[in-house]
Amino acid sequence: MTRLSRRSFLGAAACAAMPLAGCGGTKVPAGRLGVRFWFSYGGRNRQVLEGLVSRFNASQDRVWILPTYQGEYFESLTKLRSAIAANTEPVITHVVGEVIPYFAEAGVLEDLGGYPGVRELDLVPALAQSGTWIGGDRKPLIALPFNRSTPILYVNQDMLDRAGLRPPETWGELRAHAKALQRVQGGEVKTWGLVCPINWWFWVALVAQAGGTVVEADGTPTLGGEAGVKALELWQQMVHRDGTMRPPPGRDYNAWDIAKGDFLSERTAMIYTSTAFVRYLDDNARFHAVAAPLPRDERRAVPTGGTFFLMMKDAPSEQKLAAWEFLRWMCEPQQTIEWSTGTGYMPVSERAVKKLEAEGWYGRHPNDRVAMDSLAHAVPWPWAPNLFRVERECIDPLLEQAVLLNRDSREMLARARKQAMED
Amino acid sequence: MLRPRNATHPYLMIAPTLLFLVVFFILPLGVAGWRSLYRWDLLTPPEFVGGQNYARLLETGEFTRALGITLTYSVVVVAGCLVLGLLLALALNRPGKFVGFVRASVFSAYVVSWVSVALLFVWMLDANAGLLGRALRGIAPGGMLSSPDTAIHALAGVTIWKITGYAMVVFLAGLQDIPKELYEAAALDGAGRWSRFWNVTWPMLRPTTAFVGTSSLIVSFQAFDVVRVMTQGGPANSTMVFVYAIYEHVFQNFRLGRASALIMLFFALLLVLTGLQLWAWKLGTGRREAARGAGARARA
Repeated sequence: MTRLSRRSFLGAAACAAMPLAGCGGTKVPAGRLGVRFWFSYGGRNRQVLEGLVSRFNASQDRVWILPTYQGEYFESLTKLRSAIAANTEPVITHVVGEVIPYFAEAGVLEDLGGYPGVRELDLVPALAQSGTWIGGDRKPLIALPFNRSTPILYVNQDMLDRAGLRPPETWGELRAHAKALQRVQGGEVKTWGLVCPINWWFWVALVAQAGGTVVEADGTPTLGGEAGVKALELWQQMVHRDGTMRPPPGRDYNAWDIAKGDFLSERTAMIYTSTAFVRYLDDNARFHAVAAPLPRDERRAVPTGGTFFLMMKDAPSEQKLAAWEFLRWMCEPQQTIEWSTGTGYMPVSERAVKKLEAEGWYGRHPNDRVAMDSLAHAVPWPWAPNLFRVERECIDPLLEQAVLLNRDSREMLARARKQAMED
Repeated sequence: MLRPRNATHPYLMIAPTLLFLVVFFILPLGVAGWRSLYRWDLLTPPEFVGGQNYARLLETGEFTRALGITLTYSVVVVAGCLVLGLLLALALNRPGKFVGFVRASVFSAYVVSWVSVALLFVWMLDANAGLLGRALRGIAPGGMLSSPDTAIHALAGVTIWKITGYAMVVFLAGLQDIPKELYEAAALDGAGRWSRFWNVTWPMLRPTTAFVGTSSLIVSFQAFDVVRVMTQGGPANSTMVFVYAIYEHVFQNFRLGRASALIMLFFALLLVLTGLQLWAWKLGTGRREAARGAGARARA
């Protein structure tokens, strides 16, 4: 939600009410070097993060991390960009991957390649800078993976069992299942087949599954060509022809929240969501909630999502060194495991993954396993500074218009492509 | 005519206001005008692009779309406020404790913050759980805010709900200003209720109506909070009013040049509207004076 969601609103209110306890406070104890850290989580993820920060602060006596909540991803990104322009940026923050090439090219990020211990980090390649972007390993190291995720399908297995179905594996099965699972009573939909936010991340997944690429490696926004059309038409057909898919209202994470709410209240049999919500959905579903890989078309494919830690180049060097200690600590297996098992984001350290395997975590939590396995089909992003702009300005409005107003997908895509190329 | 003792005195007296105007209005406007000729995202150096930002706003239809949406919203808001405000004022223009309570209740919405009102209506308009949303399922099965055809009207409805209390109070003041004698005279002449309204109340309320119309027009052109909280310009950009479009360009897309160009176009539009209003007002005053002149001649 770039908009003010209920949660962020209450979060902000709570924050205002207890400046010290809830939000990390602004006081640095004597003898410590304060490091400002902006973050974007509410709810449970915030608690886990603040727990980690407190543990780091208690674990040594030189550095004091000051975490400040800055609203969800897009709000905090807005603040970050304004803060950089006004020279009031924090030392570290975390931002969505799509915008990182832009920041890197704008020259505001610290090169982390020379910091002590950087070679010992055992990051999972598909989640690290090297595997997230095409040619990411040839760029200076400016981003460390923090909370990483992929899109995922969640099904209400109880409903599927009653219909004698297994989670859909192809687009064709997705449509057929959605039709079979839809319940209509007196002309009113009681249970939707599928609820999927009309959001670029899921569309990028569909385009990749249909064999296309949204923005080419050289930054050309082709928007998937025919694969883009096919992906759009899948949604249009499910929303308008089959009437089995509900596009949740609201933009960005508002729509995601509604999708999750619909799933938990059993108003839909299936949702597209993020692996980030595995823990939340598992804990709150009063039915058998099962995660499944996204259905494939020509191939299986998912983009990765979530955020990376960044350090700001213009911060004082001693603060940058202090911040580095925190970042390195966060990438260690123990912290990675605490973060991942507490939230559902994927562990970014290879040793952490091995440890979780050895301890039988994935056996006990098969939905987490599905999330990890989806990485085998992860498609890297292009290192394109225009990526974020194309996403926000061209694709999201295009998808909304094409799906909600059921406009000709080919024509809409051509228009969006023209706009993306011209600007 | 009064002559100042010192020629500089008038200038000194308007200096504080002038300074305020220059610092907070004229200067920023000048900066916006200058920035509108650049492509700039705050972080990388600005690049001079001439009139390209304006050309893009016009070519892509963004300007006309924002104009259409803002005008639709304004027309609904102004008409709604005028009609409802007047009806409420007519109904509640009488003494009594209960009537006083109703008047205060209607006005109370005006005092509540925009964000609270907007959040409240987001819940009320929810198609599944909201009271209003369920009632309006016939018009918008998925909720008023989810459909590009109805969202702007939902926002206008919320705005009307919020500011009509103010319109009502202004109309009440206007009504109470009308001399009782006029009604008595009209009644003696055999005028019925409708005729009294049409020939006495309505003409006497014209300045009040003009004031309510203008102030609600201003509010509607400044709409931001409701859009920000309720729709964020969606669905499918159907509620992208001017101010919100400017906000999006500055804070979401970081296109400061494009945003500045939009600001300049918005400013030009407001100038035209103000000009039209002044012209209409002059026309009205001219007619009234002509009528007064004719009346005086007739009496003579």
